[in-house]
Amino acid sequence: MTMTDRAENTLLILPGLVLLVLAFFVPIAQMLVLSVAGENGPTLAHFQRFLSDPYYLNVLWRTVRLSAIITLICALIGFPLAYIMAHVSARARLWLVIMVILPLMTSVVVRTFGWMVLLSRSGLIPEVLRDMGLVGRNFSLMQTETAIVVGMVQVLLPFMTLSILGVVTRIDRRLEEAARTMGCGFLQTLRTVVLPLSAPGIVAGSLLVFTLSASSFVTPNLLGGSRIQVLAASIYRSVTQTLDWPFAAAQAVILFVGILVLLMPYARLSGRTNG
Amino acid sequence: MAEVRLNAIKKAFGPVEVLHGISLDIASGEFVSLLGASGCGKTTLLRIVAGLESVTSGSVEIGGRDVTALPPEKRDIAMMFQSYALLPHLSVAENVRFPLRMRRIGTLEEQREKVRDALETVQLGHLAERRPNQLSGGQQQRVALARAIVSRPEILLLDEPLSNLDARLREDMQVELIEIHKRLGLTTLFVTHDQEEALSLSDRIVLLNKGAVEQEGGPREIYTHPATGYASGFLGAANLVAAEIFDGAEGPVARLEDGQELNLPVEEKLRGPVTLALRQEDLALSGGEGAGLKGSVRTRVYLGARNRYVIRLGGGEVRILAPHDLEFERGDAVRVTIDPARIRVLSRDERP
Repeated sequence: MTMTDRAENTLLILPGLVLLVLAFFVPIAQMLVLSVAGENGPTLAHFQRFLSDPYYLNVLWRTVRLSAIITLICALIGFPLAYIMAHVSARARLWLVIMVILPLMTSVVVRTFGWMVLLSRSGLIPEVLRDMGLVGRNFSLMQTETAIVVGMVQVLLPFMTLSILGVVTRIDRRLEEAARTMGCGFLQTLRTVVLPLSAPGIVAGSLLVFTLSASSFVTPNLLGGSRIQVLAASIYRSVTQTLDWPFAAAQAVILFVGILVLLMPYARLSGRTNG
Repeated sequence: MAEVRLNAIKKAFGPVEVLHGISLDIASGEFVSLLGASGCGKTTLLRIVAGLESVTSGSVEIGGRDVTALPPEKRDIAMMFQSYALLPHLSVAENVRFPLRMRRIGTLEEQREKVRDALETVQLGHLAERRPNQLSGGQQQRVALARAIVSRPEILLLDEPLSNLDARLREDMQVELIEIHKRLGLTTLFVTHDQEEALSLSDRIVLLNKGAVEQEGGPREIYTHPATGYASGFLGAANLVAAEIFDGAEGPVARLEDGQELNLPVEEKLRGPVTLALRQEDLALSGGEGAGLKGSVRTRVYLGARNRYVIRLGGGEVRILAPHDLEFERGDAVRVTIDPARIRVLSRDERP
């Protein structure tokens, strides 16, 4: 009965804290330790090997570049979609939400195989393009970066859309009307009023999408094939094929730190818009 | 500055018609209030003038130009919202500059000059760099006003801009609005449910009831000569008393439901069953025996400067505003007198 609030709070937080440490910090620590493990004590050789090999640098660059493109496309589709969702009736909004999150309800493998069927040489999309005379006989979208982007955008769009939707629905509709009475056309209102006020949602959605796409493995691997490797796939190969665990750990650390560095200014940006 | 002409405006939301063909002319520089209870369609009408709402039929002309089909940004208007609708991501100065920037009025230097002027007009020059959420309600309201007048629009539309302020600030802002309107001479359409606000600010009042114009006229005219039962009930909160008029020895006499009689001016032409509209402040109260209608005190409400009495009289009740030094208790017998010239007689079918 004499327990203070503070002690009580600490006690309550304990189970969560233990879980967090066991499930999150321990593996990361292990990964860090493993990444500098060498035959004669700690070494940075794995990092050196990665950073001096053009092949791996290319993989890293592709991962960052594709993630950025995927994030951008998700934002470009997600913002108008969220705006429309916020402005239709509650019933229509429900259906749109269901449609948007539908891809998340199927297994990633099944969904990706679906794309493989659509994008392969005899698939629907290349065939239509061929019939329209836009591409050559051997055209295929499989095993291209385009395929990775298409597949990933479909998977990650819900994260972006729902992040933005949460913010857009809270924007006072009167603000848009006020902007219209002050000389803004519809698109100008979107740009000068809705977009700036949606920034926290766009930032949050971008953080999610970028992080998820930079660390994703199944979709890029299946749609991009072995020629177009992203970092996560390269890590997977180091673990399962060359059995070089320390090198895999080093790549994982680079991915981890890289995302952290890229996201830091972003996080600060969102902190500022919220405050 | 420009005149506004509304031609037989009808508006329906789905199957419900909320405006039944309203026509209204507003002269250049005139300050017109749309007065009415909530749900009478006054805000819808204002939004139609702004272009935020479409019409079902009828047309809107601003400055002789038919703007019915134009979106709000193509009309030279400024609107002040009840919630102020300041843009939270912009500073006060940027908010006020917004209409200038969007309508591309003047150079950057001229725009800054105008923003400074507008903010000085509402005495907020020192807060130009603040964000709206750092201001009090009254200050936000002034920023909204500055933003509405900065571009010198042809028409200024005000949607209950004072209703979120406390009583003291509201009085200050009324004075300020009158002065600004005098100085800038903007054609102004003002929506309010507050009769006092409408009376004190307007050149002309348009009283709306259930989507139709009940009466329009100058404040004095509409207050002293309400044309209908609804108008007298809404303006000045008049008491409506049922009576029957017949010819007495010295002119028309009104007999109330309890048989008491009241002399009317000789000019009164109506006979038969009528409704008398008696204003609270026109009725005088006195104690004991004497001339006047007999009644008894039901309730007294202390209002500070005055007392409001509810008196049982003539088979119904009337409310009376009395000086604060006049004190009666519940159940006291009182006399109620009124100058016959102040009695408004309404035929029965005019009753709301």
